[in-house]
Amino acid sequence: MKKQNLVSFSKNLEAMRKFSETYAKRTGTFFCADNSVTAVVIEGLARHKDKYGAPLCPCRHYEDKKAEISATYWNCPCVPMRERKECHCMLFLTPDNEFASDLQEIDETTLLEKIA
Amino acid sequence: MSVSQVTDASFKQEVINNDLPVLVDFWAPWCGPCRMVSPVVDEIAEEYESSIKVVKINTDDNPTIAAEYGIRSIPTLMIFKAGERVDTVIGAVPKSTLASTLNKYIS
Repeated sequence: MKKQNLVSFSKNLEAMRKFSETYAKRTGTFFCADNSVTAVVIEGLARHKDKYGAPLCPCRHYEDKKAEISATYWNCPCVPMRERKECHCMLFLTPDNEFASDLQEIDETTLLEKIA
Repeated sequence: MSVSQVTDASFKQEVINNDLPVLVDFWAPWCGPCRMVSPVVDEIAEEYESSIKVVKINTDDNPTIAAEYGIRSIPTLMIFKAGERVDTVIGAVPKSTLASTLNKYIS
């Protein structure tokens, strides 16, 4: 990765980390008890934002990512999350989910450790 | 035993033409639940070593097969028997769910 791309990626990584914390608190959802799941999804969102300009869900397969981004349905937070608190990526879990922790924060160090 | 990765190019030979039932784990690099299901798939591969073949396929790198089988949500686990898809399990399922699904196809 070129230096300029690295800077933009880390900026997006931090933006998606903060978004995830804020959105979990706003919706009363929690991160996964396995924080490597949280970290890898935040990384995926940041990579999509970096490459395509929007945080497309990294837990779907798309035939055309650019077209999906324009369609907006799977841009995070996706429509199923906004309407029914359904995140099949396991980033935002409702408290009754067996994998939910009691955490709505992931610090930068943990995030970087888990994706290294 | 490590589970082998298949590709668009090797899918036919490894999965479709296999005499054993085949469990295929469709995954992607930044998919959180894929990381949870991966060790479950590894355990299944070990326990069912004599009766099924288990493979994994990265959908980002192998879009042809992913498109052919209509993969949307990942992880998706598919079971093939005699070259035909016979069952599909979506998401990070517990090992017991996967095992009971597989048992239907093992003679």
